[in-house]
Amino acid sequence: MGKKKSEVYSVEVNGIKDIETTDEGDGKEKYRGLKNHLGYKKEHQKEELKKELDLDDHKLSTKELEDKYGTNIIQGLTSTKAAEILAQDGPNALSPPKETSEIIKFLKQMVGGFSILLWAGAVLCWIAYGIQFSKDKSASLDNVFLGVVLALVVIFTGIFAYYQEAKSTNIIASFSKMIPRQALVIRDGEKREIPAEQLVVGDIVEIKGGDQIPADIRILASHGCKVDNSSLTGESEPQSRSCDFTHENPLETKNIGFYSTTCLEGTATGMVINTGDRTIIGRIASLASGVGNEKTPIAIEIEHFVHIVAGVAVSIGVIFFIIAVSMKYPVLESVIFLIGIIVANVPEGLLAAVTVSLSLTAKRMAKKNCLVKNLEAVETLGSTSIICSDKTGTLTQNRMTVAHLWFDNQIYQADTSEDQNAQIFDQSSATWASLSKIVTLCNRAEFRPGQESVPIMKKIVVGDASETALLKFSEVIMGDVMERRKRNRKVAEIPFNSTNKFQLSIHETEDPDDKRFLLVMKGAPERILEKCSTIMIHGQEQPLDESTAAAFQTAYMELGGLGERVLGFCHLYLPEDEFPDTYPFDVETMNFPTSDLCFVGLLSLIDPPRSTVPDAVTKCRSAGIKVIMVTGDHPITAKAIARSVGIISANSETVEDIAKRLNVPVEQVNKREAKAAVVNGMELKEMSPEQLDEVLINHTEIVFARTSPQQKLIIVEGCQRQIPSIALAYEKAESDIMNRKPRHKKKDRLVNQQLALYSYLHIGILQSLGAFLAYFTVYAEQGFKPARLIFLRSEWEDDNINDLEDSYGQEWTRYQRKYLEWIGYTAFFVAIMVQQIADLIIRKTRRNSIFQQGLFRNKVVWVGIVSQIIIALILSFGFGSIAALNFTTLRVQYWFVAVPYAIVIWLYDELRKLLIRRYPGSWWDKNMYY
Amino acid sequence: MAALQEKKTCSQRMEEFRHYCWNPDTGQMLGRTLSKWVWISLYYVAFYVVMSGLFALAIYTLMWTIDPYTPDYQDQLKSPGVTLRPDVYGERGLQIFYNVSDNTSWKDLTQTLHTFLSAYSPEAQEENINCSSGQYFIQKEFHAPNHTKFSCKFTADMLQNCSGLTDHNFGFEEGKPCFIIKMNRIVNFLPSNNNTAPRVDCTFLEKDHKDFKPLEVDYYPSNGTFSLHYFPYYGKKAQPHYSNPLVAAKFLNIPKNKEVIIVCKIIAENVSFDNPHDPYEGKVEFKLKIQK
Repeated sequence: MGKKKSEVYSVEVNGIKDIETTDEGDGKEKYRGLKNHLGYKKEHQKEELKKELDLDDHKLSTKELEDKYGTNIIQGLTSTKAAEILAQDGPNALSPPKETSEIIKFLKQMVGGFSILLWAGAVLCWIAYGIQFSKDKSASLDNVFLGVVLALVVIFTGIFAYYQEAKSTNIIASFSKMIPRQALVIRDGEKREIPAEQLVVGDIVEIKGGDQIPADIRILASHGCKVDNSSLTGESEPQSRSCDFTHENPLETKNIGFYSTTCLEGTATGMVINTGDRTIIGRIASLASGVGNEKTPIAIEIEHFVHIVAGVAVSIGVIFFIIAVSMKYPVLESVIFLIGIIVANVPEGLLAAVTVSLSLTAKRMAKKNCLVKNLEAVETLGSTSIICSDKTGTLTQNRMTVAHLWFDNQIYQADTSEDQNAQIFDQSSATWASLSKIVTLCNRAEFRPGQESVPIMKKIVVGDASETALLKFSEVIMGDVMERRKRNRKVAEIPFNSTNKFQLSIHETEDPDDKRFLLVMKGAPERILEKCSTIMIHGQEQPLDESTAAAFQTAYMELGGLGERVLGFCHLYLPEDEFPDTYPFDVETMNFPTSDLCFVGLLSLIDPPRSTVPDAVTKCRSAGIKVIMVTGDHPITAKAIARSVGIISANSETVEDIAKRLNVPVEQVNKREAKAAVVNGMELKEMSPEQLDEVLINHTEIVFARTSPQQKLIIVEGCQRQIPSIALAYEKAESDIMNRKPRHKKKDRLVNQQLALYSYLHIGILQSLGAFLAYFTVYAEQGFKPARLIFLRSEWEDDNINDLEDSYGQEWTRYQRKYLEWIGYTAFFVAIMVQQIADLIIRKTRRNSIFQQGLFRNKVVWVGIVSQIIIALILSFGFGSIAALNFTTLRVQYWFVAVPYAIVIWLYDELRKLLIRRYPGSWWDKNMYY
Repeated sequence: MAALQEKKTCSQRMEEFRHYCWNPDTGQMLGRTLSKWVWISLYYVAFYVVMSGLFALAIYTLMWTIDPYTPDYQDQLKSPGVTLRPDVYGERGLQIFYNVSDNTSWKDLTQTLHTFLSAYSPEAQEENINCSSGQYFIQKEFHAPNHTKFSCKFTADMLQNCSGLTDHNFGFEEGKPCFIIKMNRIVNFLPSNNNTAPRVDCTFLEKDHKDFKPLEVDYYPSNGTFSLHYFPYYGKKAQPHYSNPLVAAKFLNIPKNKEVIIVCKIIAENVSFDNPHDPYEGKVEFKLKIQK
């Protein structure tokens, strides 16, 4: 386990909207990380880049390369030539990302979306005051205060959102850290260390284990060179690099090393064939950045909502302005009236509410190890309809683990869970004793010292992934491996190499009476079997006959079919007489037998799925989210993992499976019958976008294997083209979002026509009737019956009438009337407040009855309701009532006037929901369901 | 992704809008077909009819709970307002400016008084009874015709020199004008608890006129009192012919060619004149300027 596991998953949302690519960071950045940082390439370039690389340097011979790049593989470039090329191509560095300055980011938060409407309101308020002030120096400051409040709301929510975002982005490691700093280059015939930025095409560079590859290079010579391409592909499995041309695809061939990837071991010499932005990683960087220009769904929704609200506010404002003017109000007063209506219609609190609830959600997600980079991403996750997941490290534990064993003609299953503490296979067999010895001894991996207190599974190991797996496996089962190795001193060893395909070591035995040497060997099963003449069954050596060989084949195929990497193990006790104590073992001449060995067993390794993944996949499925696996891994492994985590469910088949079952060629199978599909990177390369769409639409369970980074983007875009054919359905919202279908980006608007109509023309009307009832009640009980009020306004507002008669013949001064009016206002406000409680409760569900939903499941709602009532009480009673806002104390009964109307609102909505449930698809459903 | 990033041109938008207004393929206008429009309109008509009915019912219930004779609450009417006749308002409050020698400048003022007093003619007061008790006229029962309560007569002649009967010009011509002070009606209001009749007291506003001689006033009826038998008022329904008692104040020593501020207060136990918000509660203030 060379990698340390980071506990934080980062969810990239700026870049890919519907698609959540989770990936396990390992301190280095994966290519997705580039999206944020590099955002400058133009659209048309993207299309070009998206095509697979047309690189043919890997096909050329050394000579051809020398000619092409005008270099010499021994002498390297001359300094002058290099300087020339450097001047022409520019430095070997990725173009720095165009960082938006902090000020711009901040200002964006300040003026984005809703804020602009609020700013407009604030400015209008100030203008209104300006006009008033110019007319009358003693004009009241009400409008100034309102403007200030509006501005403060915007500024505070802006600062809050900015702070939240800045906090999250800080956590993201900088991309620039992954770029190599120095390179060992041959120029003018001598080796020298130069900054990696100065490399040019044609330079001959040398790399060794631990280096980052300083540019895209064509390998000219290699000694056991292995690279980790995870920065490019996400797959951390070491890949060997040699000068052989092994694959048409430049990304697959072994003789190309890529900029920013790491050389794990060995050395290599290579010729620089691409530098800077022209390297693969450079192209991906700009490619990926191109994906991120989309607005997040919540931003789109809020914008849509702002349009509706602004439209309604402005039109109502204008209508009332016209009415006011025609009622002979002075124009200035009418303008203030207009502003008042617009400001009143703008939900000032929404911005803050959205920000707060998003950041609360983000916090909650952070607790579950999910880092949200961008606040708006939270909602985006809610409308996720497809998740494209990487395999390694996301679905799997990102470490090889022993999954199965085969000995004594039987397959045993090993525990692959994260801690492996439940190994349940039969360990009593003598064969297992031998096998365990081989596993322990024929292994070069070691624990790094000083980790005694660390649990075995978390210990850091020096060695490759398979050996690490075997080491930990034997440590878990048998305890102190290092001690055991000491007792069985190693006298000779041949490490694994790709030509031999086996690993061998010779040990003294721990039994002091047994002077024989033990030769242990592991490797590719077929190669191991070739070298064996006997097989151990229940501790007894038996000749390897046809039937045992067949049994071996079956087991091998079965384990291979599970996508597991199978290793064979064999041993041989060297006869004491031929190989005495002092026998000089020579690994070069191989002066010891490597045939007629005794076959002991097979072990198969896999990167097992995380134990939480199958459940997560099921949950996503049940929520209507399609889960697609995208991996650079082999199709068989990919499919096996997909099956084990439920991405391909147990009973669904691919086209190939059907063909196999029916025993017909693949072409004859009706593709529609196959629920699942495994698409190979090579197939994908041949596909047109239409064909890809077809795959994405026709199959519910899809695995993409052997994909290159470019193809990952093609897949993502393919997914984004799909409009999922699902709509919002039955809810039990509020408490468990996972039971809700993902929101359909285009159809399920946050605010749609039905909701707007229902709010303004149904509930809104009901509320205003309830509020007017309270208003009329106040007036009537104080002396002005409704009949008297009609057409009374001009007299009522006349400052020169101080003996206005009410319904009882009483006479009122202007101030007495004014104060009564304020009581009316307060009663109106309180009535709205009371009805808003009903409004809040009915909006808990869209379809289900409140009785089905339950009133008390969401306790926070009640906190909200109570605080709303308290605020109203303070406004009315507190501070001896607030004169500036024209609030007055109210007689207790006026607080309850609107209660019947609140009940009416609730009953009406229950009726609406009942009919929607009763008659789905009806006229009612279409018009009343929002 | 491409689908989401589409940028529409203006003409496309116009075209879309036109399509929205009238879609020839589906016969939809503004997103609905004609029949759908009819249905939705019918629904809204029905909905609003029901809602109006509900509201009417609520108002009806409200009216049903309300006493027709006495208002439920008189939270704002603790103390009556006071008004002045003639009432000419300037920028800030009452302001009566006139020129003695220019009779057009006060003709309107006296006309206002005549009009105002026409409601106090004997004919207008015919339905009311004569009272002279000087005590509160408490009526528990409805003994007057048509199930009403009696109201006391107040006729213009009670204002004597300011009745407009003897001096048709209310003293305006001679620079000693009459002003009529009226106290607002409040149902069941008793000016005092101890049988002291409320009295009008007019003075120059002190702080502005320290150097003046005190204002000399003739009050009609004598002493400037509102006789207690006009109280309490039982409301429009119980006393349909009730008319407020009046007090006339004739100012005798108004300096000429000078703007003065006069305040007339009602002196009574239950009348307050110190509400800072309401300039007309328990008092009336006015500017007067008589030119010569």
